[in-house]
Amino acid sequence: MRDCYFFTEKMCVGHGSPIIKDIEIMLPKGEILTLIGANGAGKSTVLKSIAGQLRLLGGTIYLEKETLSEMDRKALARKMSVVFTERLKTELMTCEDVVATGRYPYTGRFGRLSEEDRQIVREAMDLIRVTEIRDTDFRKISDGQRQRVMLARAICQEPEILILDEPISYLDIRHKLEFLSVLQEMREKKQLTVLMSMHELELAKIISDKILCLKGEYVLRYGTPEEIFESDFIEQLFDITEERFASNEKFLTYIRKVGRYG
Amino acid sequence: MPKDKRNIRYRSALFLLTVGSILFFFGNVIFGSISISIWDVIGIFTGQEADIAYRRIIVDIRLPRATAAFLLGGALALSGYLLQTFFHNPIAGPFVLGISSGSKLAVSLVMVFLLGKSVSISSSGLIVAAFVGALSSMGFVLLMSRQVRSMSLLVVGGVMIGYICTAVTDFVITFAEDADIVNLHNWSRGSFSGMSWEYVAMMAAVVAVTVWIVFFLSKPISAYQLGESYAENIGVDVCRLRILLILLSSLLSACVVAYAGPISFVGIAVPHLVKLLLGTSEPIWMIPSCFLGGSMFCLICDLIARTVFAPTELSISTVTAVFGAPVVLWVLVRQKNERQL
Repeated sequence: MRDCYFFTEKMCVGHGSPIIKDIEIMLPKGEILTLIGANGAGKSTVLKSIAGQLRLLGGTIYLEKETLSEMDRKALARKMSVVFTERLKTELMTCEDVVATGRYPYTGRFGRLSEEDRQIVREAMDLIRVTEIRDTDFRKISDGQRQRVMLARAICQEPEILILDEPISYLDIRHKLEFLSVLQEMREKKQLTVLMSMHELELAKIISDKILCLKGEYVLRYGTPEEIFESDFIEQLFDITEERFASNEKFLTYIRKVGRYG
Repeated sequence: MPKDKRNIRYRSALFLLTVGSILFFFGNVIFGSISISIWDVIGIFTGQEADIAYRRIIVDIRLPRATAAFLLGGALALSGYLLQTFFHNPIAGPFVLGISSGSKLAVSLVMVFLLGKSVSISSSGLIVAAFVGALSSMGFVLLMSRQVRSMSLLVVGGVMIGYICTAVTDFVITFAEDADIVNLHNWSRGSFSGMSWEYVAMMAAVVAVTVWIVFFLSKPISAYQLGESYAENIGVDVCRLRILLILLSSLLSACVVAYAGPISFVGIAVPHLVKLLLGTSEPIWMIPSCFLGGSMFCLICDLIARTVFAPTELSISTVTAVFGAPVVLWVLVRQKNERQL
């Protein structure tokens, strides 16, 4: 277990008072973990605690055998990047400027970008396909575009581990697939490790190596997609009862499709 | 706009502000209630024989006054910029948040107390008193900012703190008995008059060091502007930066109050005007530009205050309010429009 790239030991998270206790995650380098659960189940709280936004209420997080909370902040910034659901505050910044903020841990005292930094920014924007809005004001683009710019920003930070809170929630289906395939590619080429939360169950099943299900005070289940998407577990996780939709044949069919087989 | 073109814009804006402040600096030296010809002024600067009275007016009155307006105007604008950054609030400034008034109260208490014992206060003592006053007001504002999330309420609260401090200051001044109180009264309304070279040297030292530190913080400030959580993620010690922002902005505004009294609207308005000129919020450009913009703004306002109704002198805040308040209104209106975007 201690050989794992990323793992947590009895991690306990919450805003002041504990919401979820004894979270034990083990993630080898280059794997993708997805958190699923109902609204308010604590997915963001877990991700924010891992990213160091929230103080841990108990337990320890290890990254490459080092305790995360004791790691040097600047060294960590070169290893871990994040995309939260919370909006970035910008003023008079173009999308390219926003993406370039990901280079912060690599620039000098005054934060001037080198030619190499610029190159990396351009590549990240190409990869996520936001190059055409590079000179547009970040406040004037749509939610979906904004989400993609934020993803490009996280990628140009050149992380080893990426923390994403509902990264594709605003994207159309094409961009959802495109982004997930970028993740998959980066995981194969660069051994990128990903921890994210998602509501798109079908996609979570395809992309993830591990899935963590949150419900109530403890982790409800942790395992491979095959283990999670079996029998009626999803219905249990989201409290979907067939009786509630009994009168609607179309809904019933859908529930059976998603719930049972992802 | 592509990056290269933008860089040209930033450079020319900075150049414009530099030239503008130099121009108005000399404008302030040349023009005044007593008219001295430009040739006489040049003569005095180049060390030629000149009328003793003229020489005194230029060297001992106008030059230190213009230098003070340059330094303190810049300090005020920068202090406002730091506060706006700290609170993520475009209408924050040392005056509206009651920080200037806190300084004013502390300084007048110290002055009245010491004048009563006929001890004169040193110029560094003035700054210390003003700094303590600024920090205590800041403490109240911070306490309040934990309770109220709305930025307009925060500003209203700051204005109230300002009124309380001003009321107590007026009370102290009214009941103090000394001829020097007249000076104190002038000072408490805000004015660049009566600057000595001793004062100017002290404020130059404080302002220079503070601005230097602020400039070296431009990188973490740029990250902080994105919001605390993202700043944290890219390696900024947010807690330490917040403390530094508070201390530096209080020190800058304390320095202004210690020597020139509270001056309204410069700290709040100038950063917006400068941002409009630059077209960016990048701190590495904003910090020097804000400083120069504040300098130029105060030099212009002081020139107006001294010359328009000469020999009667307007208080500096009267003039800065005329130009600054409309800017604040404009910011408020624009803010609302952008939220609908």
